[in-house]
Amino acid sequence: MALTVRIIPCLDVRGGRVVKGINFKNIIDAGDPAEVAKRYDAEGADEICMLDIDASYQERSTTLTTVEAIANQVFIPFTVGGGIKKLQDIEVLLKSGADKVSINTSAILEPNLIQEASKEFGSQCIVVAIDAKKDGDAWSVYTHGGKNKTELNAIEWAKKVEGLGAGEILMTSMDKDGTKTGYDNDLNKKLNSYLRIPLIASGGAGQLSHLVDAIKIGNADAVLAASIFHYEEISIARVKEELMKNNISVRSNI
Amino acid sequence: MQIGVVDYGASNIFSVLRAVSHLGAKAKVISKQEDLKSIDKIILPGQGSMGACIENLKKKNLFESLKLSFAEKPYLGICLGLQILFALSEESSNSEGMNIFSGKVERFKENKNFKIPHMGWNQVTFKKKHFVNRNIPNSSNFYFVHSYASKELKKDNILAETTHGELFNSAVIQDNIIGVQFHPEKSGTQGLKFLENFINWKI
Repeated sequence: MALTVRIIPCLDVRGGRVVKGINFKNIIDAGDPAEVAKRYDAEGADEICMLDIDASYQERSTTLTTVEAIANQVFIPFTVGGGIKKLQDIEVLLKSGADKVSINTSAILEPNLIQEASKEFGSQCIVVAIDAKKDGDAWSVYTHGGKNKTELNAIEWAKKVEGLGAGEILMTSMDKDGTKTGYDNDLNKKLNSYLRIPLIASGGAGQLSHLVDAIKIGNADAVLAASIFHYEEISIARVKEELMKNNISVRSNI
Repeated sequence: MQIGVVDYGASNIFSVLRAVSHLGAKAKVISKQEDLKSIDKIILPGQGSMGACIENLKKKNLFESLKLSFAEKPYLGICLGLQILFALSEESSNSEGMNIFSGKVERFKENKNFKIPHMGWNQVTFKKKHFVNRNIPNSSNFYFVHSYASKELKKDNILAETTHGELFNSAVIQDNIIGVQFHPEKSGTQGLKFLENFINWKI
């Protein structure tokens, strides 16, 4: 046997509530974070991810209260991202109950942060999140929740952060996010051929076959999805059943 | 029942504290020698390198006192807390561990099909029936994050095995001393059961 593929439901949180938007716009309410996380845990989620989508602009205290509420109820790995700018932000999140933090914009503005953070807290808790959009034959990296385009090539950037000490890459396809047309398997497959650290595929899940393809075609080590799980369109248990049918090993006996 | 959770300064002890409290036991942070007196059992969660961990424990005068406590108190080492039980680690060739087990912990062999660190959920096959794995279906999945592991050990000391490109010892035991390479505090229901069993275990 080998490592199982991880199914990671993601909670986009704003002002202490779970929300979901399409292509980072048109935000709607999807419940209380701790309640939602607890439901996912019971359904067999292998990890919980929480992204504080407005954190760059707002108060942090609401975020920390939410992190603590989730950590007190859910005993599986828990990743928190959004608005992390310095080492101290990471320390506070870890103390509040996060096991890993995901860094996006700040990693680009200050690449040293990845190096310092992985040295201080260990690579295992540093996830670098990348928002990428297709641009001709390549993929460009965007910052600030998809608002600003950078000069960076997504694959080159992922390789660079791996060298700086990132423990995992969370790759979100902006072209696919919220469209329910499947993950960007071209991007993930290409990226994974260069990566030595785990790759989490994100953006585009709409039906069961998309998750199977993200693993079989995109070679992802883990798949992240938000809306299909929030609205109970597809349960995590159903996803696992489908993956098993396709000879992909998943965690059972939850 | 008071469970001491060792804080040597460089590991995330919060999730272990949360899990122990969630199970209804009293958890106490151990950061100096005196703290060890009033507690019944010890959990040492660790991350980072063995060298740094040993050095920190020595700085806090916890290295020798922990070793002495091994004579009477149940110990559960998690992740690096398992690795420090060994004599040596390939990761920190200059430091000597607790030497409960005479072997060493070694890095996983490079293999393009198996990423390092070994990160995620993997099957734990218990090789012995023991109070700590009571009511846990054999070959349940537990959560791992590590690059080094114990690969060679006397059969009597192997509590569980796991495979990641190669076979390694995912749980080890010597009398009242247990080490687990996985994170029970992050392994959902089965992990909590394991911790609960450790809390209720009488030696």
